[in-house]
Amino acid sequence: MNGSSKFYRTKIPVVRMVVVMKNLFTIRAFHKSLISLSSSTRHFFCSSSSSASTFAIKNVTKSNFESALNDLRLYVKDADFVAVDLEMTGVTSAPWRESFELDRFDIQYLKVKDSAEKFAAVQFGVCPFRWEPHRQSFVAHPHNFYLFPRQEIKGDDTSYEFLCQTTSIDFLAKYQFDFNLCIREGVSYLSRSQEKEALGRLNARYKDRLLDSSSCWREGVDTKLVRVADILFSERLKNKIAEWHDGLLGDRNGASQTWKTSNDSKQQLKTIFFKMRPALDLTGFTSHQLRLIQLVVKNHFEDLVYACVAGESSSQQLIVYTDSASGRDLLMKELKDCLCKEAEMKIKAAIGFRHVIDLLSSEKKLIVGHNSFLDIAHIYRKFIGPLPSTAKEYVISIQKFFPYIVDTKVLLNASTVCQKISKKSSTSLSKAFALLCPQIASGVKTSGLADKRLVKVEVQVDNKRSLNWNSGAKHEAGYDAFMTGCVFAQACSHLGVDFTLNPSSVDLSHHEKLQEYINLLYLSWINGDIIDLKTGERKADSICSKGFKAHHSKILFSNTVLLWAFPAKLKASEIRECFCKVFGSSSITFIYHVDKTAVFIQFSKQELVSDFLVLKETLERSNDPISVLHPLSKVLQGGRTRAASYEVYKQICSSTISKVFFADQAEAVGIEWNAKLSKPVLEVERQVDFEASENQLYTDTRNETEIVSGIDPPLYMHSPTDELDSLCPAEAQMSK
Amino acid sequence: MLLQRRLLCTQVPKRSIHPTHHQNSNLNNKKWAIKQVTKSNFAETLEEIKTHIFNSDFIAVSLQKTGAFSSPWQKVLPFDTAEVAYLKAKYAAERFQVLQFAVCPFSVKSSKIIAHPYNFHLFPRDELKMGMPSYSFFCQSSYLTAMAQEGFDFNACIYDGISYLSRAQELAAKDRTGNPLPRSYMKPSQSPTVYSVADSMFVDRIKSRIKIWKRTCQDSEKKTEDDLISTLRKIVSGGEVFGSRPSLSIDICSERQVQLILETLQEFTDLVPLLVPAKKELQLMEEEHNMQVRGFREVVDLISTSQKPVVAHNAINEFAFIHSKFIAPLPSTVDEFRSSLCSVFSHIVDVNHLMREIGPLNKVNNLPAAILYLKRRFTRPLHMEIPQHIDGDEVRVHGRDVLRISELFAKLCLILRIVPESPEADYSTSSSTLECYANVFNPCFISSSDLLDDDVNISTEKTRRISVANLVFLWGFRGMMSARKLKSLLKGSHEVFSGEIDVRLADRNCAIVVFWAPGFAERFLKVMNSGGTNCEPIKDMISEGLRAACYRTYKRVCELSIWEPSLADALEKALEEASDLPEANSEEELPAICWDNDELTNLDDL
Repeated sequence: MNGSSKFYRTKIPVVRMVVVMKNLFTIRAFHKSLISLSSSTRHFFCSSSSSASTFAIKNVTKSNFESALNDLRLYVKDADFVAVDLEMTGVTSAPWRESFELDRFDIQYLKVKDSAEKFAAVQFGVCPFRWEPHRQSFVAHPHNFYLFPRQEIKGDDTSYEFLCQTTSIDFLAKYQFDFNLCIREGVSYLSRSQEKEALGRLNARYKDRLLDSSSCWREGVDTKLVRVADILFSERLKNKIAEWHDGLLGDRNGASQTWKTSNDSKQQLKTIFFKMRPALDLTGFTSHQLRLIQLVVKNHFEDLVYACVAGESSSQQLIVYTDSASGRDLLMKELKDCLCKEAEMKIKAAIGFRHVIDLLSSEKKLIVGHNSFLDIAHIYRKFIGPLPSTAKEYVISIQKFFPYIVDTKVLLNASTVCQKISKKSSTSLSKAFALLCPQIASGVKTSGLADKRLVKVEVQVDNKRSLNWNSGAKHEAGYDAFMTGCVFAQACSHLGVDFTLNPSSVDLSHHEKLQEYINLLYLSWINGDIIDLKTGERKADSICSKGFKAHHSKILFSNTVLLWAFPAKLKASEIRECFCKVFGSSSITFIYHVDKTAVFIQFSKQELVSDFLVLKETLERSNDPISVLHPLSKVLQGGRTRAASYEVYKQICSSTISKVFFADQAEAVGIEWNAKLSKPVLEVERQVDFEASENQLYTDTRNETEIVSGIDPPLYMHSPTDELDSLCPAEAQMSK
Repeated sequence: MLLQRRLLCTQVPKRSIHPTHHQNSNLNNKKWAIKQVTKSNFAETLEEIKTHIFNSDFIAVSLQKTGAFSSPWQKVLPFDTAEVAYLKAKYAAERFQVLQFAVCPFSVKSSKIIAHPYNFHLFPRDELKMGMPSYSFFCQSSYLTAMAQEGFDFNACIYDGISYLSRAQELAAKDRTGNPLPRSYMKPSQSPTVYSVADSMFVDRIKSRIKIWKRTCQDSEKKTEDDLISTLRKIVSGGEVFGSRPSLSIDICSERQVQLILETLQEFTDLVPLLVPAKKELQLMEEEHNMQVRGFREVVDLISTSQKPVVAHNAINEFAFIHSKFIAPLPSTVDEFRSSLCSVFSHIVDVNHLMREIGPLNKVNNLPAAILYLKRRFTRPLHMEIPQHIDGDEVRVHGRDVLRISELFAKLCLILRIVPESPEADYSTSSSTLECYANVFNPCFISSSDLLDDDVNISTEKTRRISVANLVFLWGFRGMMSARKLKSLLKGSHEVFSGEIDVRLADRNCAIVVFWAPGFAERFLKVMNSGGTNCEPIKDMISEGLRAACYRTYKRVCELSIWEPSLADALEKALEEASDLPEANSEEELPAICWDNDELTNLDDL
């Protein structure tokens, strides 16, 4: 080693030359490979290179947002469809807010609404797909936006507060989510309604100010001069300003500069020109001193105006000279307009990521998601406005912004063709991707015949392109959006959409083969309930209900009672036993745990609901030995046990409060509904019952069949029946 | 050891070279030497901090949270009584999460502070998969942004933060799992075990041993034997008695062997396996388990058992968090909270409250400003010494507030003569002096002198004491109005305003009016309730939407947790609910608060 270095030292010139030449060579070689990569991609594909390319996904943060947005505009304009995906800080704000089989259609919406209102979206994947006929493949541009609800303008503080579900955050951490990047560099946003509100506030403020321009700048100018120091300071400044003022007038008369200042005050008072008027720039004063100066100007100088102008970095304090009253008014107006315009600019700048949503909306592109009802709700809440209170209002509104939405989860479960391919296995995104697009998922080329049916997808990130790109970053919004798009393209091909036939791109939004599936979303996967975005109704002939609802038809909401805050550790079987002793052995259809503090009890007959509520009331009121020995006393023990009809469940779900346990939640919400009705509990429940019977019409339209009595019904405990990867419910939702 | 000493030496000369800069460099020093603790170095740190906690006189704590209050009126305001302040602190503590918990055991010796600062990074990871310690928590983006600007590493915190369980949660967890021992042993695995040669030898040996023992047991039941022989036999076969049943102990040394024995025992239908960990092992396991379950709470427990005075800034907020995260859910009243907290921490000292004692400082709510003020006024130098050394050049700024609190406290102690100045005397002699400053949980605006004299506050000329009965909340006035404008508007409207009044904005569209003359507040409310009869200006204002409420309504807002973003909406809601209920305990004695004109001026800037 030592020897060789000596050897080199003696022949430095030669060695250096070699190195230089090598460098040249490698650069050239690299360049060549780039050309071949971009110009002959078809050739590249035919040679069946199985090594997956792994260049990084396009990550977008504050710093590159503008340029990425400009690029994205072009991609979206040309796209045939755009796949989207979101990562959130959580899914359910309490365990009982998870989706249950016993959730009625309207309650399912309330649960999604609660989730979209409370949690933040931290990553937004956008992936436009374009069919390139001459290449016979799709080109995808996956983008991974980091979002953070940073407060850029003043306003309602509560919208800059969000919930984090511990398990979800932990889940994101498991997949190496970069929280630092998100919080420091995430793109912020302003919803349409927030923007409107901010502009409205701005207008109101400036209108107000025009009305009384005298108190234009700051209230509280009449600070009394109490301290000796203040008086001295004011006096000194008065003289200084007077000097400057007189100097100005003298200057105009052609006299030489007479205003002499010491070095110290020259730094603090600098003559500048503001909007063609001479002005004094005040720097280095404290806010208290500035207030005093303001006072001096107001009281002693008619033709001077104290102004506060927002500069580049900080606000600038000025004393401006105006030669007449009209000139003064003009200046005030100019200042006002200037401030107003600046504030408006600030609001426009705060729109941030919403530009992407506006782009997707204005281009009316087909939006593709995977189990995307929650995602779309988040998009609505974050970038459009507050969520309407009913599902119907919501879907009508969302259709205005996104007329064409298709969900790959619906597609996979609904079409018999796709079901055959997926062999009824899990339709989680990553599984579907691996099954439908093996050539992309694992980079393995299958046999030629099967390969023919596989849709080719080429990925482009900046200037890099690849046909078997695999960033491998699962549960990253950008990659998930890419997978969703690939699954969709492949599913389309299986459904008989032939991309290759068309000389130009295919109009997927209006394609006859897809019409059956467009604008249908799973409102709740666990129930298999599908919502039709065109009507806001539950899809009547649930096309995808296969295998789901063995017992769903048995749920009769008007027969159901909600029971909570019963003695701890009371098991469902024990509750059932108590009830059977009172109302007969076949009186209970099932008992379903909401959480450990609450259960749903469904009676076989509707009358039993009110029978039970009345009985409970009488038992609680009387204290005689009979009521103590009553079989129900085991359930009512402790005196905290509450019961109500199903409608109260809706009320509790629609509350913005989220306590971990249902009993606590009901208590917290109860403050409101008890006080509102402020009648004995019994009447509250009767009234609610009345509402329930009105709702009967609703349940009738759903073709509910009467319960077949005699069959011993199972005891339902809610367990995620969804997919294999549902280790915990939060994960199940997130991993979809 | 040698190395360490040398490292310490290099620090000492640095300080002695610049004695003049010393005062400034204490806290502006780039090397804060605050030990940052995450899951990876928690176990070793725990031992370290244990000795420091027990050897120091005081413990300063400071928390970094994910948020504080959702709208301006929800923070503790100058006109809040202790009860209201507690309810506000409770609401915040239940919603937000602690991400950093800085602990600094310190002693004050003559003019030296010896401090051992630690900053623990916490994350409420559900280590036991039981939905604990926290199902979810709120974040305020402004708080996270501010932390990010300080260079806080969120990834480290979330990936590697220390989890914890509160005392109440630990009980609940024990209740649910029952036995702290791993349960996987109890049910042998379904998959057939693949035996290695060593395994099968072990199994054979155990099997024969069990068989022999069993035979002896059965034999001994049949025939009576000489005592000596039966004892010998027991020794040979290793038989013992567990309860009243004969048993055999088998020593094992690995989990694999446990599995093997359990499988072997399945052959014997009349034998029950019992897993008895060796004593030492048991203790170790329990310690390990406790450490895993309690996590960071071990530190809180150490502070608690040390019985050392705990120093904090804005104690009511900090301890509401500490109570809810590490002890138990917060009780509903401030008195219960105080007694529950006192059972855990014997002395809690609020530097804010101590600052109050030095009159003019009462306005300074900000730590660096307060320190600067004291440095200018009281020139006695105080040296901060941080003996621990930390390697690496990273900026260790996180948790520096805890050092500021220690410094401020030490200075205040010197000024207030709480700690004796002679180095020999220790803390115990001075504890009685401290006693009167400890555990004052009124919001920081009430000083102890106020509690003694019930009339006008004497410490400053600007603060006056007033019963909350003289306070009225007003809202529904036109547009955005300044307090000054509102005051002049009110002055001209009715004779009740002719006396001395103060008007301040509590938030954007709700004002609070102070009637200095007693009885006027009540009169005004009566006028408002009558709809402004005999008073046209008030009538007009009511028709424009003016509403008023007494202090009790404000208290009800907090009691019922009506945390609307706007105070006006919250008061409106509380009034609605109150109208349904009979006016209860109206004779209840109303507490007083301190009214300080200066403290409220910032509300005008809203």
